[in-house]
Amino acid sequence: MSLLARAVTLALALLLALPVAGPPPAVAVDDVKIALVVPLSGRWARQGQLKKMGAEMAIEEINSQGGIKALGGAKIVLREADAGDSVEKAVSAAQRVLTREKISAGIGSWLSSFTLGVTEVAERLQVPWLTLSYADSITERGFKYTFQTSPVSSAQAEQALDLVVELAKRNNQPIRKAALIGDNTAATVFFFKPLREKLLQAKGIELVVDEVWTPPLPDATSIVQKLRATQPDLVFYGATNFPDSIQVLQKVKEFGVKTHIQGVGAWLVTPEYVKTVGKELLDNIQTVVAAHPLKGQEELVKKFVQRTGEPFMTQDPLCSYAHVWLIKEAAEQAKSADPKAIRDALAKIDLTTGPAASTLSPGRIRFDERGRRIGAVPLIVQWQNGEPFTVVPVNLATRPVVWHK
Amino acid sequence: MASRSREWLAIAAVVAVGLVLSFAVTERYHHRVLTLVFLWATMGLAWNIISGYAGQISFGHQAFFGIGAYVTVLLAAKLKITPWLGMLGGVGVAVLAAVLIGTPTFRLAGIYFGLATLAYPLIFRIVMDYLGYQEVAIPMMREQPGLFMQFSEPRYFDLLALGILAATLVLSRIIETSRLGYSLRAIKENEQAAEAMGVDSFRCKMIAYMLSAAPAAVAGAVYAHAILFVVTPEAVFGVLVIVQTLTVCLVGGAGTLWGPIIGAAIMIPVSEILDTTVGDRLPGIQGVVYGAALMAVMMYAPEGLYWRVRSMILARTRRSVGAARPAPTAAEVHATTPAVPAGARSVLMDVRGISKSFLGLQALSDVSFDVREGEILGIIGPNGAGKTTLFNVLNGFLLAEHGEVHWLGKSITGLQPHVICRLGIGRTFQVMRLFPHLTVLENVMVGAFAHGASPDRARVSSLAALDLVGLADRADVVPTGLTTLELRLMELARCLATRPRLILLDEPLAGLSTDGVELMALMIRRARAAGVTVAIIEHTIHALVRLADRLVVLDQGRRLAEGLPGEVTRTPAVIEAYLGTRWLARHGAPQHAEDLRP
Amino acid sequence: MVASELTQYVVTGLLVGGVYALMSIGLALIFGVMRVVNFAQGDFMMLGMYLTYYYAVVLGIDPLVGALVTIPPFFVIGLLVHRVFLARVTGGGDPNREMDAQLILTLGMSLIITNATTMILSPMPRAIRTTYATRAFAVGPLLLNQARTYAFFMALLLAAAVYVFLTRTDLGKALRAAADDPEAASYQAINVRAMHGVAFGVGIALVAAAGGLLATYYPIEPNVAVNFIVLMFVAVVLGGLGSIPGAFVGGLAIGLVQSLTLLVLPLQLQNVGVFVAFLLVLYVRPQGLFGRRARTV
Repeated sequence: MSLLARAVTLALALLLALPVAGPPPAVAVDDVKIALVVPLSGRWARQGQLKKMGAEMAIEEINSQGGIKALGGAKIVLREADAGDSVEKAVSAAQRVLTREKISAGIGSWLSSFTLGVTEVAERLQVPWLTLSYADSITERGFKYTFQTSPVSSAQAEQALDLVVELAKRNNQPIRKAALIGDNTAATVFFFKPLREKLLQAKGIELVVDEVWTPPLPDATSIVQKLRATQPDLVFYGATNFPDSIQVLQKVKEFGVKTHIQGVGAWLVTPEYVKTVGKELLDNIQTVVAAHPLKGQEELVKKFVQRTGEPFMTQDPLCSYAHVWLIKEAAEQAKSADPKAIRDALAKIDLTTGPAASTLSPGRIRFDERGRRIGAVPLIVQWQNGEPFTVVPVNLATRPVVWHK
Repeated sequence: MASRSREWLAIAAVVAVGLVLSFAVTERYHHRVLTLVFLWATMGLAWNIISGYAGQISFGHQAFFGIGAYVTVLLAAKLKITPWLGMLGGVGVAVLAAVLIGTPTFRLAGIYFGLATLAYPLIFRIVMDYLGYQEVAIPMMREQPGLFMQFSEPRYFDLLALGILAATLVLSRIIETSRLGYSLRAIKENEQAAEAMGVDSFRCKMIAYMLSAAPAAVAGAVYAHAILFVVTPEAVFGVLVIVQTLTVCLVGGAGTLWGPIIGAAIMIPVSEILDTTVGDRLPGIQGVVYGAALMAVMMYAPEGLYWRVRSMILARTRRSVGAARPAPTAAEVHATTPAVPAGARSVLMDVRGISKSFLGLQALSDVSFDVREGEILGIIGPNGAGKTTLFNVLNGFLLAEHGEVHWLGKSITGLQPHVICRLGIGRTFQVMRLFPHLTVLENVMVGAFAHGASPDRARVSSLAALDLVGLADRADVVPTGLTTLELRLMELARCLATRPRLILLDEPLAGLSTDGVELMALMIRRARAAGVTVAIIEHTIHALVRLADRLVVLDQGRRLAEGLPGEVTRTPAVIEAYLGTRWLARHGAPQHAEDLRP
Repeated sequence: MVASELTQYVVTGLLVGGVYALMSIGLALIFGVMRVVNFAQGDFMMLGMYLTYYYAVVLGIDPLVGALVTIPPFFVIGLLVHRVFLARVTGGGDPNREMDAQLILTLGMSLIITNATTMILSPMPRAIRTTYATRAFAVGPLLLNQARTYAFFMALLLAAAVYVFLTRTDLGKALRAAADDPEAASYQAINVRAMHGVAFGVGIALVAAAGGLLATYYPIEPNVAVNFIVLMFVAVVLGGLGSIPGAFVGGLAIGLVQSLTLLVLPLQLQNVGVFVAFLLVLYVRPQGLFGRRARTV
């Protein structure tokens, strides 16, 4: 073996003998640690980085305002772990971060499959976990430590449909035909299922196109061709993979299809859309999300934009921002940094004030015994001139909705 | 033998180290790393059975891994069947899948096979998404966690993973030392030669494939429970699974059970250490460093770490000094042709009217002759006469368009090469077909297995065959160090080890010096004296004239002449075929066969 | 089904397939000459997309032209990568053993390229805004997306250029000789190692150009390769390893099969159609569509 190879082998052997963790930066003993397990490298790195930005902003706010008062001004420290691009890596990241130090609570992990695995670890290690994932399955497992702040997909479907039908009626363009197009990722599947099975029928709406694909989508022609042929009044659209969603939107423009596109999920309101397809194409497209800057949060958004250079703030950073504040409140109420105590505090919390409550519509945070947020309602966000604004519910909207065919 | 029990001891030692680590490690996360090492080593060993030993590189082994995971988890989630039993179901489905996938796919060779196998897990992935199983969370069974393979104490996962690793090690070792193992290695080295030595390559590959599917399925089932907690098609059928398997096996070294262990023991901790130390703080850097590590290892040890280290240790090869040549015995020197006159011998093989064409070129045209017991039959003819094609037909590699071949009264037309070999017809090749990474003895043993011998008996009869040709002292060398003569002798010994009644030797004298020719001729006579009938192809007549009892002459695919050497060499048609019409016209029929040098 | 509808499916499939075809030729060349399975092929395509983006956004060069301009720099990159890394583990004569090494080597390269790109250029997706990405040519009742149509014809042009290069020029013939029989080639004073370098360089340049063409309608991000790499390999094997026209046809076939599968299978199972067709072709013709039958005894 050459000298270099021998050196490499030796180095590897030494590494194996070393204790595993490199020392984290110095922290005070009584700091409250929050774990953030999100993809920071690989395919979903962008989303994870956005979440991290929101969490960091909240932590900075809290610490600069005196930390957690009930714990003598203890500061919050973020412990991020890279979930990478596989379930194995995500669960490893969770295990790693939750066993290395005492973590009071955690946030993550963007992809619902990652969240399912990570929350299982958190459940076993008895650390409360907050997630913005929409999938119903997250809180159908009888877990005590998982808290889902977003309305679940099936509930979103029902509420969103009501909202859209109402809007359409008010604008004298009742919805008679609808289309469901989207990929087969969990959130989309959970959203479409009740629509397909009963909700549309209950409102007397005919389902004219039902196209689900497995990502990545090679070409959107066949889908948009069907839209062109059937001319639905409303298209529910769930394409979480960025190249797929771009292709469909471009094809809609190319074929000159005029319809009302109702996205399902916050993936449709990220800044990259503006740069890639341009604001004209996006104009008036709406989407259903769990969180978006609401009326009264203008300062918050300005601060975020200044800090990060992002053109606007969206669900991902907003939710992790809210989650950190929520944990802070729980810690205040529990008067402890102990994860079990924080969990108990979250389970019985009833919060109507503070940044967490004002971020999560409708302004009140309570959880049921499954960990689902009671009364959570989805928002409808609309692209207007290259920026997405909350339009529904009207009392929380930052812009009035624009409706045209 | 000492080296064999040494291997078992080494296996026991590895398992013992694994046990010690399971108990020594305290942190939960470290247990996870240990479990991952054991699981990926198991998956690597499973892959190694079909891709390392048999040489059929599979890019689709994750199909079985995923089947094991999904079957087990779905049975538990939907029917509350304990995964300890569900795993068996997973294995069953995986083995069945191996049969269904292998049957049409083994016809493909090399990377065609590899990519065809990849298609299956890709299909399964899409189908699982379609069926609505994109995220199957394993329901947490708080009441009976052990029954459902859910341990709160991570050490139990280590032990479980170590258990399946140990079982797979034992399986691998048993295969390595069994007849199947030799057959697989022969298939890997040279499938056609293996077939000619009586190895039923389809059957061997299929058995290996089935044996490799089972541990992969078990690994998948345990992986789902110990590592994932939620099964997604991407996580168990995805490309990352085969990438991890390949990494572990190829970095460690393929074709040996130590490879996956070394590969897993090094690469997985490296990956996790990178994630832990730098990955969280500078995301992406761990991918860069890991990739660089992979490149570095491959550039300095392309055959894998195990083989590299091994060849360094064994670097003092047995490049032997010139060996003593076996001398003919006095009896052999004075031997004359056997007492039984040629005409009175019984017919072993009857070739009738064989015709074969390739793309319009008629290679053989209505060739008929017979081979009689105890004779040495020479088949001669100028280049392009169709001699090797004839042997390929006789031996089963080619199918004739017309004609039949009868062996001991029964038709063998259209039978597979390994079947023909087992019926008693052996073969050597014009371009030598060795098993280059097997020792000389192991090369010969492949032939000895043709008659169902156990590895021990095969070793004994192989040594005897090597003894017969005078190569006994070369038994433990790899063929790359041998001379042409020694290689031909080895091929002869290998052929004789299949215990044939007839051997077809294709130009055994080519490339040999005069001494070498003499020695080969001696060996051939020895073989005949031992009861083996010989048919030899040569295209130089003078070499065969003294060796053969009878000659058959082919020219341009037709049988030109048949008879005693003396007669045949004076037949004008034969002379014309070799030397041309003008030569014949000028010189007339020669008096001596030696004059017939084209 | 109306004839025009069917034709639309066929045309859509061919347009999609055209770019697959160009992606695959590079891989086929590398495999054909060097017997290297280049795991990193898709990542070089991704880099080609970024370079084309740079040309478009900073230098204002239309991506259809930009794609061509990626060829020279990537040819050089390919030569260097081969010289520094690949030549160490290939060209030694034992393709079986070498396959192992170069699989892992190129895998390592792939990891480095993707992760380094994510770190340096950020994972934010980018796209080149072209007018023709959202416009279609109307040919009778058929709609042909303009970007894809341009990309298709460019791909055809480049593939033809490669074909001419391989069959008419001395260098091309030397490449083919080195592929067919390296030993014999070296007896003809052909530097087989240099030929490998050239093959790798051309192969990388071609896939970079394919990326540039793809970038006219597809967004660019560090992990974009993952959407195409399997299809590339399937196309090459389907066409017959080592056959350049085969890879081109293979790529077109995949696009076509993807599209036509929609006539019989639900959209979710679209790629199942591709893989099933792939298997069927191989089972009937184990050497692929244009491949040469393996030598017998």
